[in-house]
Amino acid sequence: MAQKRAREVAEDVVPGHVPPAPPRLDRNAQARLGEQLRAMYDDLLQQPIPDRFIDLLKDLDDIEKGKSTGKGTTG
Amino acid sequence: MTIDASMRDALLGAVPSLRAFAISLSGNVDRADDLVQETLVRALSHIDSFQPGTNLNAWLFTILRNLFHSEYRKRRREVEDADGVYAARLSTQPEQGARLDLEDFKTALARLPPDQREVLLLVGASGFSYEEAAEICQCAVGTIKSRVNRARTRLAQLLAVESVDDLGPDDQTRAALQATG
Repeated sequence: MAQKRAREVAEDVVPGHVPPAPPRLDRNAQARLGEQLRAMYDDLLQQPIPDRFIDLLKDLDDIEKGKSTGKGTTG
Repeated sequence: MTIDASMRDALLGAVPSLRAFAISLSGNVDRADDLVQETLVRALSHIDSFQPGTNLNAWLFTILRNLFHSEYRKRRREVEDADGVYAARLSTQPEQGARLDLEDFKTALARLPPDQREVLLLVGASGFSYEEAAEICQCAVGTIKSRVNRARTRLAQLLAVESVDDLGPDDQTRAALQATG
């Protein structure tokens, strides 16, 4: 763990330091990984927002409304 | 700063991204939703520390990530993570033929070290720039870059992705995975 940290620090701090980097992937391999990653993510993004979050923010809205009514702002 | 309707809408609008990140990070939908809930509660109670005009999503992701890591450290002390538990959780969704590739991908993603998984999700999937990811993870941009590189290489090893010449280069998707912003 400490070793790993030291390595990362060296990468960030030492100018011109070349990390013992893994070989670069060719662009096709990268593209395929990117597609799969986004396909997985898109599935998740398209899930409907669970009610608990809508309720949480709606409650808040009601509270805010209550507050501003209570203040009796003139306009 | 009060929470007006536009802030409320912005928070609600951020929920799908926060959930996608939390689910991918934790491998558990229930836990992910708890993380999102806690993130929203914290955000609301600390809304004064959000600077209007800055990236709300990045701010929310920072909160979620911090919550995840403090919880992860706690859990780690309680139960040693058995190899493959996370992967199994991620793979519990019903499988269809066409989804097999995706299941393999999820399993491989789950086997990445957490620090590599999270940067790949931030940069490659959530659309944050290296700079924003560095801010969210509170580390240097160079660290993010090297983690992304390691994550990609490790994923490719796990999936045994090989170069396919007849696919031809696809600069757009390549750029998206590299996601410099």
